[in-house]
Amino acid sequence: MIRIDKAAWDVMVAHARAAYPRECCGAMLGVEADGGRHVMEARPMRNAFEGAQEDTYQLDPAEQLQVEKEARAKGMSVMGIFHSHPDCDAYFSKRDLENSCPWYSFVVLSVKNGEFDHANSFLPNFDQTEAPKETLEYQQ
Amino acid sequence: MAKILIPTPLRQFAGGNDAVEVSGATVGEILDQLTTTHPDLRKNLFNDEGKLRSFVNVYLNDEDIRYLSKTATAAKDSDTISIVPSIAGGR
Ligand SMILES: [Zn+2]
Repeated sequence: MIRIDKAAWDVMVAHARAAYPRECCGAMLGVEADGGRHVMEARPMRNAFEGAQEDTYQLDPAEQLQVEKEARAKGMSVMGIFHSHPDCDAYFSKRDLENSCPWYSFVVLSVKNGEFDHANSFLPNFDQTEAPKETLEYQQ
Repeated sequence: MAKILIPTPLRQFAGGNDAVEVSGATVGEILDQLTTTHPDLRKNLFNDEGKLRSFVNVYLNDEDIRYLSKTATAAKDSDTISIVPSIAGGR
């Protein structure tokens, strides 16, 4: 289960809308709570993919390192990564799975015609062969 | 001893610690020592051939060891080692 506070959710949706029609990406910061994850802050990050960003995203590892430090300084940690799917449903694609990592929650936001449509969260398994959905709670 | 920062999802495999101090002359020796002390970490960081898993990036301070001397990169006591997963995706 991943629960995302309104302030964090608003940042994620705003970032996804601003990046449209390109894919956005970012980190979700928070704490582990009751066997699940509680996200208190979202941190927009740059899409480092050098090419068509309409259907691809890539995190910048140097920025990840920075975000990790910021999270630690606030007594939080990176709980997951979010990215958007412009004009496409919020599913976890084969490339999303192959280039993920089993340590985080992966939230995908569907943005259609520039507006937020729906979202899902996925938990890649250890070998990144499948990513079952996890319960996602957010306040709009 | 160099300090290794442990990402939150891996702390359960590192005795709950958010950082571990390990001695070793190179990043490779330090990671070996770390995963000998905490064997459950090993399969999260290394594949069956003993190579770092494809998504695992290791940073010595602010430098990716891939652009230094990889696991042969020398480490000093004052150094901090970070583990950063590489993440991307697309339709
Ligand atoms: Zn995707």
